[in-house]
Amino acid sequence: MTGLVGRSAESITGALRGVFAAERVAAADGLLQRRDPRATLCAVAGLALAVMIARTLAVTLFFGLVTVALARLSKVPLRRLLARSAVVPLASAFVVLPQLVLLPGETLVRVLGVAVTDAGISYVVLFTLRVGTGVALLSLIVMTTPFSAVVAAMRELRIPVALVWVIAITYRYLFLFFDELQRLILARNSRTTGTSSLRGEWRDASRLAGTFLLRTIDRGERVGRAMRARGGARAPSPYGRTRSLNHYDYALVAFAAATIAASGVIRWGL
Amino acid sequence: MGPVIESHGLTHEYPDGTTAIRDVTLAIEAGERVAVIGANGSGKSTLQLALGGLVDASSGTVTYFGETTDAEAVRDRLGVLLQDPDDYLFNTTVREDLEYGPSQLGMPRQAADRRIDRLADRLGLKGLLDQPPFRLSGGEKQRAAVASVLTFDPDVLLLDEPFGAVDDRYRERIRELMTAHEGTVVLFTPSPDLVPEVADRVILVGQNGSVVADGSVREVLTNGSLLREHGLRPPTTVRLFDGVVEPEEIPLTVSDAREFLTREVR
Repeated sequence: MTGLVGRSAESITGALRGVFAAERVAAADGLLQRRDPRATLCAVAGLALAVMIARTLAVTLFFGLVTVALARLSKVPLRRLLARSAVVPLASAFVVLPQLVLLPGETLVRVLGVAVTDAGISYVVLFTLRVGTGVALLSLIVMTTPFSAVVAAMRELRIPVALVWVIAITYRYLFLFFDELQRLILARNSRTTGTSSLRGEWRDASRLAGTFLLRTIDRGERVGRAMRARGGARAPSPYGRTRSLNHYDYALVAFAAATIAASGVIRWGL
Repeated sequence: MGPVIESHGLTHEYPDGTTAIRDVTLAIEAGERVAVIGANGSGKSTLQLALGGLVDASSGTVTYFGETTDAEAVRDRLGVLLQDPDDYLFNTTVREDLEYGPSQLGMPRQAADRRIDRLADRLGLKGLLDQPPFRLSGGEKQRAAVASVLTFDPDVLLLDEPFGAVDDRYRERIRELMTAHEGTVVLFTPSPDLVPEVADRVILVGQNGSVVADGSVREVLTNGSLLREHGLRPPTTVRLFDGVVEPEEIPLTVSDAREFLTREVR
């Protein structure tokens, strides 16, 4: 898999693995890093909710700007944030791409005899931007707050243990999932020479997918044992990193709450 | 004080029908230093998992501290280090991995922080604490995994190939940490060379997954024919002195050999 399919799989895997890996940014002295993890979690998740409620381009762009501002104030390099956040919206855009021609509206251009409508373009652009902004906001949590602190904050916010458990396990397994895929691709590439046709590459990729599935199950079992070996059979209980909430924490949460309300008012005209 | 781990007729069969360990009956006493040796595929790692309560035995029992057969009830007293550090380090930073055991097992944070600082310093991990584990080299991952199992200060250590890809300097540090551990240490390794420096007792697992020898380091490691029959070679010093001096005089470690040679030459 040294051709297009192989390179694409390798790049996407590397990017997704990066999304689930913690970075040194969490140790920087920025706005979100100085906040109590509970405040960060509530505020950023609230902003992501407000983005999901939004249905207009202007509101979505506003939240995009808020995300950029939060990133700058938290000393998160925008390029790194973009790299972490780009894969999911691009994949989402691919999924909703048929809406370009399925949604009725004014024809803007014809591609291979099929009409691309203005409503279709608006839908795809808006959907992709909303997903991108939402993912960027959630990435901000991971980039500015150690994951164990996020889990501890969820426990302190009295989010049901089962849900915290699912989030903690899913996050860890997603990281391992992409780590395993990257290891498999590297192992394959190290013993692949020359070039093959696109068809041959797809055939190789399908074989790889089967092996990957088996390896993932196997590794999942081994990691499960490693967790149990250190008390993983008990409910997640990372050390808390919370402190007394200060005015800035409350202000950030209030800002997020206000944006949820405003987003709702704009959408439903309450 | 009774055995900290005692197994009776322990057998584990994988779903494909392979019997990894067969009718293993043994007792490990408190404070013992035991090495479980065997060739690749002999079932050492499965035995470690079964003794650590991490796989369900097909038959047989394991009793912990003479009081329970439920490993989860004594999880804070058992330190099980798995063979592959990539499986063992599943958190997003090294620090989170070092904190995982102590926090899950209820160790107070300050005590955990002190142990983490000390172990990170000892094993050269201080500058790596905020790194994602997958960015570490093989030896660094192994050191982080060893530190992770030591952070919650378990009474019994069950360590599967803890020296892995570690360089000589840190291999010595890990050996010192094992020696300094006040509880029980059980090392699983395919390499008899390391054994005399860390163990007093050796259990040899044969290629069919059963225990074929259990005795002192000298008894087992100087029995070259037995070791070769089960796919292993005696330690280097034993091979060097075998047939040259009486079996009971064979030096087992390099430092013993050096002392012996110095004495003889003078």
